[in-house]
Amino acid sequence: MSTISYTFTVNGIERTTDEKKPLIRYLRDDLKLYSVKDGCSEGACGTCTIVVDGCAVKACVLTTDRAVGKNIITVEGLSLREKEAFVYAFGTAGSVQCGFCIPGMVMAGKALIDRNPDPTEDEIKKAIRGNICRCTGYKKIINGIRRAASILRGEEEVRQISQFTGKMMPEQNEFISVVGSNYDPERASGIENYENKGNSSQYGMGQNVFRIDVRKKVLGYGKYPDDIGPEYFVPVDRPDLIMEQTGWGEKEYADASAKGLIKPGKTIYMKEEPLVNICVAVDPEMPPMAYASAVRSQYPRAIVKKIIKEKAESLPGVLGVLTAADVPNNKVGHIQQDWDVMIAEGDTTRMVGDTICVVVAESPYILEQAKKAVKVEYEPLEPVRSISEARAEGAPKIHSGGNLCQTRHVTRGDAAKALAESAYTATASFTTPFTEHAFLEPECAVSFPYGDGVKILSTDQGAYDTRHEVAIMLGWEDCQERIVVENQLIGGGFGGKEDVTTQHLTALAALKYNRPVKMKFSRAESLRVHPKRHYMEGTFTVGCDENGILKGLDCEINFDTGAYASLCGPVLERACTHSVGPYNYHNTDIRGFGYYTNNPPAGAFRGFGVCQSQFALESLLNVLAKKVGISPWEIRYRNAIEPGLELPNGQIADVSTALKETLVAVKPYFDDAPEDRVGIACAMKNAGVGVGLPDKGRAELRIKDGLVWVFTAASDIGQGCQTVFLQDVAQATDLPITKIWIGNSNTENAPDSGTTSGSRQTLVTGEAVRGAALMLRKAMDEEGVNEDTLDKLEGRKFFYEYFEPTDKLGSDKPHPKSHIAYGFATNVAVLDAEGRVTDIYAAFDAGKVVNPLSMSGQIEGGVLMSMGYALTESWPLKDCVPTAKYGTLGLLRSTDIPELHAIHVEKDELLKASYGAKGVGEITSIPAAPAIAGAYYARDGVLRTKLPLENTYYTKSEKK
Amino acid sequence: MAKRIRKTAYVRCRGGSPMLEGIDRASLPRDCSAILKLYPDGISKCRYGCLGGGSCEAACHLAAIKVRPGGPPAVDNDKCVGCGLCARVCPQNLIEIILPDRNIQPKCSNRDSGKTAREACDNSCIACRICERECPAGAITVAEGKPVIDPAACICCGMCAVKCPRGVIRDSNGIMTAD
Repeated sequence: MSTISYTFTVNGIERTTDEKKPLIRYLRDDLKLYSVKDGCSEGACGTCTIVVDGCAVKACVLTTDRAVGKNIITVEGLSLREKEAFVYAFGTAGSVQCGFCIPGMVMAGKALIDRNPDPTEDEIKKAIRGNICRCTGYKKIINGIRRAASILRGEEEVRQISQFTGKMMPEQNEFISVVGSNYDPERASGIENYENKGNSSQYGMGQNVFRIDVRKKVLGYGKYPDDIGPEYFVPVDRPDLIMEQTGWGEKEYADASAKGLIKPGKTIYMKEEPLVNICVAVDPEMPPMAYASAVRSQYPRAIVKKIIKEKAESLPGVLGVLTAADVPNNKVGHIQQDWDVMIAEGDTTRMVGDTICVVVAESPYILEQAKKAVKVEYEPLEPVRSISEARAEGAPKIHSGGNLCQTRHVTRGDAAKALAESAYTATASFTTPFTEHAFLEPECAVSFPYGDGVKILSTDQGAYDTRHEVAIMLGWEDCQERIVVENQLIGGGFGGKEDVTTQHLTALAALKYNRPVKMKFSRAESLRVHPKRHYMEGTFTVGCDENGILKGLDCEINFDTGAYASLCGPVLERACTHSVGPYNYHNTDIRGFGYYTNNPPAGAFRGFGVCQSQFALESLLNVLAKKVGISPWEIRYRNAIEPGLELPNGQIADVSTALKETLVAVKPYFDDAPEDRVGIACAMKNAGVGVGLPDKGRAELRIKDGLVWVFTAASDIGQGCQTVFLQDVAQATDLPITKIWIGNSNTENAPDSGTTSGSRQTLVTGEAVRGAALMLRKAMDEEGVNEDTLDKLEGRKFFYEYFEPTDKLGSDKPHPKSHIAYGFATNVAVLDAEGRVTDIYAAFDAGKVVNPLSMSGQIEGGVLMSMGYALTESWPLKDCVPTAKYGTLGLLRSTDIPELHAIHVEKDELLKASYGAKGVGEITSIPAAPAIAGAYYARDGVLRTKLPLENTYYTKSEKK
Repeated sequence: MAKRIRKTAYVRCRGGSPMLEGIDRASLPRDCSAILKLYPDGISKCRYGCLGGGSCEAACHLAAIKVRPGGPPAVDNDKCVGCGLCARVCPQNLIEIILPDRNIQPKCSNRDSGKTAREACDNSCIACRICERECPAGAITVAEGKPVIDPAACICCGMCAVKCPRGVIRDSNGIMTAD
């Protein structure tokens, strides 16, 4: 036994441990200080930043032995004044999206402010240089820290805000407004005869409402799945433990007990914030939480000859090693079920992220030992590395059906003839890379036996999707309700959390061992396993007449979808249907192919295929503009789609279409910038899944304890849809937000409202919430109920389903409606003399701007992500094996950001659904990359056809 | 206007290498170049380390760098303005002018690797490359037997300082290592 011990002070209390380990493990596992987030445990991401002797330090780097004698502070240890300052400052500045980086940002900010009470913008940027944020583009975090400093200096006040939300002065946002014609979409029934009377709501449409999740994210008490430790599961016969977890006194315990809250399976929530779960009561017989982790393939393609697990299973504390033989149906997959849950003996691996077996043990330490004790014998085979290898004759078949996973052929008019007759054409072949989502929160899930099935505490983009995938694996498709999926806080997704990763494996283990089981990906594992943005090789030819009017497009798009399909089909489809751009021409021949390879899989990623094809098209438009002798702005304006015109797929552009308005909005900036340092690009992006699929929004409002509870299983992955729903209800009912609670995304008590994908939650689920809220308003009016007498409606439920049908791809209608809405955008990028991006003017048409602060947060974050895609990000592979670490992905840091100018373009004429909001999540990350490429083209006349762009200020050769 | 950020001198040697036999420190000239002329292979087992002759101290107009008995000079960051005069006169090229917020720095200039380097000094870099492997940002390359940190890539997380088995990489904030 070690007799050495390490003593230091944490949040004012002297602590001693005899374990030598990274401080993050001590703070999280021993002291349960869950504000210290574990984003990488490699020192790269900054989510675990704490303050040690006045310096901001990463808790995963510092170790307990080196911390001896030091004074350590976490968010939990901030003074009340500091806490309130940061909550208010970050809320009003819009600093919080997914929230996973936020406690680290707060601590980096605190260390700076303590040293320098009035920091400049540059000093703040420097102070958070070691902290990655993937959501915000840093701008609003910098503003938040500056405002916190100002409050702590006594120059700004923390205004009393109602509970967790508050109204405030708008930030500087630019609006332009244009009147269009009338548009009358098909409407679902139920509310059409009821006028919305709430038109001046304080917290309704267009207001900068403080996000509902700010406080729990800033102060770190909101729960992501990784914040669920063994103490979360409290046996019903242990009042002492329940009181310790909840902070209840004897009386509160007795009250809760009398109300029947302390029964196996019942989740206990915080009193002050009834949506933050503290613990769950479990059967006294239930053993404590166990830990699971996968042994993954060493080779991208190899026959698994033998899995030798006996040694691992014999280790004390190991519950067992699960293999394919333990899986009722060994296939999962978001759309196509082609993904082996585990690779069985005798089968062939498809990627290095493949699961060979899952080890379950009583502690994370034993788990690691046991994983090392599992030996796997392989017969390595030559992998299929690329699209060309995949389609080569005699290539090994990765799946039994061959290597062609998906194809699409989108045609209209006669592209060949149009191009032959064009005065000018431009042709080039483009390649764009795989991109890693790099969300700050690695995949994690905790499952436990529940009722006659299992409950999964998840972090994903669609609770019902996860339920469905797990049901397929368990063979429970006809009794899916035995599986309950509840999303906790979600630390970013960007498309990377649509497929199951940990959820199904923990469910399997929880059922097998009849106890709670947690699985968390290491960062390296996350980089290997979840699907990326598709790598593309594509050849595009676009033609125009002598005036620059576009005539036709011919293109072939080849996607590397890696080992599994994931969302290859829809992503490829969107790449194809959007490759024509938001322009008015109707001769297109677009061929899309998605190939399996032995690379890690590709799937959904913000932009959904359109980032790739728009980069190609927009780059070629600049070439055509040059040939015609007009400006890059002019060629886009001459061809821009307008309401009433046909989109390239034949759909009639609706009244809300505001592409031209976005072009007009950025024109002054385009004109003011030196001609050889400015680039421009447009984009369009569908909102809603569309293409004939039953994409429904559902919401249920329930009146309970005199409050309105909004239930919908929409995942808020940081984009802020829960706050949008709050505003929808406030607008429809005129109720103050203190009367409205937004329930958790949970398949047991919230209706299926589809996936957080396709920029659909604000529009599709938003409309369902609006519909239900109008039903409530109608009932309030009929029964003379106001905000103080809501209890008269106690127990009432208001359910609304929104469904606007669309037409499938290839529909023979003259004007098929592919999607219920499209958003439009124009971005302008400006370079300095050295080639550094200094400004991006980003104008977006998202219909009605529900929450300007949230919208500009989406824009800034999406635009910076697009800038990274253009210039710095890479996720390289060597013989199908990813080589990057989180810190070498090339993610832009706070000191790299240009001036990000979010411009909201809001027309008077809007769609009728969801108060006219169309959503903005995905389109934000599309146009900046081609705009930046355009700026370099203007600078040196070289058409760059590869991302990240070559020979720029940001490539190592030029960088000083 | 942005304030000009003051740089500071950083000495890439911690001392600790035993003097060669037969050399009496007291009898050495107070000039490092002169010492090197007398002893071209240096005066201690590590031929790359500080000679202790005080040339840097003599060159400094601000009394910001001071020789310490038996060890390399100490820099007073409050006084140092990063003019670089000391760096220019150091014949061993041990002094670099850096930004003071770059708190994670290697403090050894030994160019040998493995056993040779280990035997030369208790505080020597042995070029094991652990820092290179552990750096999350890919900011370190071991070149000429010692780590070189790319300041554009380094995020000063201190992982290299924590993992360095020889204590070569130091945290001048005194958190990851004593400074």
